[in-house]
Amino acid sequence: MKAALHATLSVCIALALLFTPAFAASAESEAAAAQVTVTNVTLDPQVFIEGDTGIITVEIANNGLQGVGIRRATLYDEDIRLLSNPYDTATSIGGGNRQKFIFTVLADVPEGIYYPTFSVDFRDAGYLRYPVKLQVQNDPLEISLLDKPDAFSAGVKDEVEILVGNPRDNPVNGVIIYLRGQGIDVIPSSSFIGNLNPDSSRKVTFSVTPEESTTLSIIVDYKNGINSHTETKEVPLTLGESKKKANPILSNIVVSYEGGVYSVTGDVTNAGLEVANSVVITAGEGADPQDPYKQYVVGALQPDDFSSFEITFSAEDVTSIPVLASYKDSDGNQFTSSTSVDVPEANTSNQKEPGIPIPVIAMIIILVVAIGGIIWYSWRKRNE
Amino acid sequence: MIQKIMDLLIRPDSFFSEKANEPENLKIPGLIVLIGAILAALAAYQVSGLTARIFSQAATAGMSSIIGIIGAISGLLGFIILWWLIVTGIFFLVSMVFSGKGSFKRTLENVGYGLVPMIFGSFVTLLLSFYYLPMVRVPVVHSIQDPAAMQQAVMQLTQDPSFREFTQVSTIIALIFLIWSANVWIFGIKYARELSLRNAIIAVGIPVLLYIIYMLYTIFAGFPIAGGA
Repeated sequence: MKAALHATLSVCIALALLFTPAFAASAESEAAAAQVTVTNVTLDPQVFIEGDTGIITVEIANNGLQGVGIRRATLYDEDIRLLSNPYDTATSIGGGNRQKFIFTVLADVPEGIYYPTFSVDFRDAGYLRYPVKLQVQNDPLEISLLDKPDAFSAGVKDEVEILVGNPRDNPVNGVIIYLRGQGIDVIPSSSFIGNLNPDSSRKVTFSVTPEESTTLSIIVDYKNGINSHTETKEVPLTLGESKKKANPILSNIVVSYEGGVYSVTGDVTNAGLEVANSVVITAGEGADPQDPYKQYVVGALQPDDFSSFEITFSAEDVTSIPVLASYKDSDGNQFTSSTSVDVPEANTSNQKEPGIPIPVIAMIIILVVAIGGIIWYSWRKRNE
Repeated sequence: MIQKIMDLLIRPDSFFSEKANEPENLKIPGLIVLIGAILAALAAYQVSGLTARIFSQAATAGMSSIIGIIGAISGLLGFIILWWLIVTGIFFLVSMVFSGKGSFKRTLENVGYGLVPMIFGSFVTLLLSFYYLPMVRVPVVHSIQDPAAMQQAVMQLTQDPSFREFTQVSTIIALIFLIWSANVWIFGIKYARELSLRNAIIAVGIPVLLYIIYMLYTIFAGFPIAGGA
């Protein structure tokens, strides 16, 4: 009996001796793994747009003194798709060390907040699971047309002012604005803004020279992380008369004719709201400009300002001629307005020869002789 | 009637001597003056048409017509008042110096008869206006707001060669017929105011001579003409 008890005890001791180191080692590993924590999680982009591909970086730190073996690290979720491979190669993180795990994910999910799980499988020490917050927000950049002319003029440069704002919760980068449209010339061809922080905006001004009525497309390219996006706003670009442009009006016009040359004098008044530069008055089709005033250079006319002018020209068999007032705007675009002016007919067949005509002189002589004769006769008859 | 007119124009002495024995009657002289006034009005309407053309671009068509009508009325009244009433008044006053005795009504009657040559003068002037006025270059004013522009336009019109020549020729013709009228008036005033022939010549001749000198001075010096048939 004693011998059997001794044998049993010996076996137990032998088993204890056999398993005690392994048991002690497992407990020790779990204690060491418990020192491993997630210290930092970064997302690029910080906020995804539906369909965006992004990078999630998880950093862990071993706060203990003993190294911890890692069998596998991965990220998983029902909705967020992991594009990169999980970390399947066994490794270890030494005491006091840090290690980053980088995952590429595709957020092809509707707007919302998702929590994909970061998981680390320790060797002989269980798991570390950490939910990562991933937000999907579809708010695009906001394009505002701040200012444009009421009406564009063909071939005339006008300014268009655009504001781009970022209503998103994360910054976007690589922002480029440019305009497109058929038959338009835009300066600058594009405007690079770069980074645009949340709730901030930037103004951009373009000079647009249209040749025809068209649709102006305001296009904004930007990047959310590594994903390129485009926003477009279309506005009609209609050609018409500008309400502000200079408007030279001719008034107080007096037409005179002497020596085969017409002289037109008058006033030119700028009835517009913009300055008329280099105003020149000339006679139009049907007139042959003559010295001394083939053209009359008025110069710059401020709004509501006026100046007198005089032009001289010859013309035949016309009853009216166009008087042209040409001017330039501040960009050098030339405009011409025409005012029809009635002129006395310069038909040479109706022109007066200098001096009293011979028939008229003859008539006067006949009248003098006849009336003189009558008077003489009346006195002679009286004396009879 | 024609014989009476021929007597008036060729033998005014015998015409007025016969009239002196008849009662005073203003009907025929009034008719003569009216015909002369109508011709003067037509000529004035022609000239006013030039002024209307100056403002044709600045005023409405109605205003152009009004300018012509005002010109015609001015010519009509001017002939009646100036050439009948005022001329009669001048002759009446001057003849008072020579102790003229006849009534103003008789003087008015005889002066009215004496306007017949001036009717012929007005007719000739009217015909001349149809020849000269279409050749006049009329400046055009596009706004009536500028008095300086209007004044300049009127000045250009008066300096137009055709217009100036028309003014000169019509004035010369008017003076020729005025002399003829003066010849008739001499005998008319002689019998109306019971003057000697010498005094009648003075009473008629001095005012007419002064008027002729004034008219010749104005057309050669280029001053505006006051009156004229």
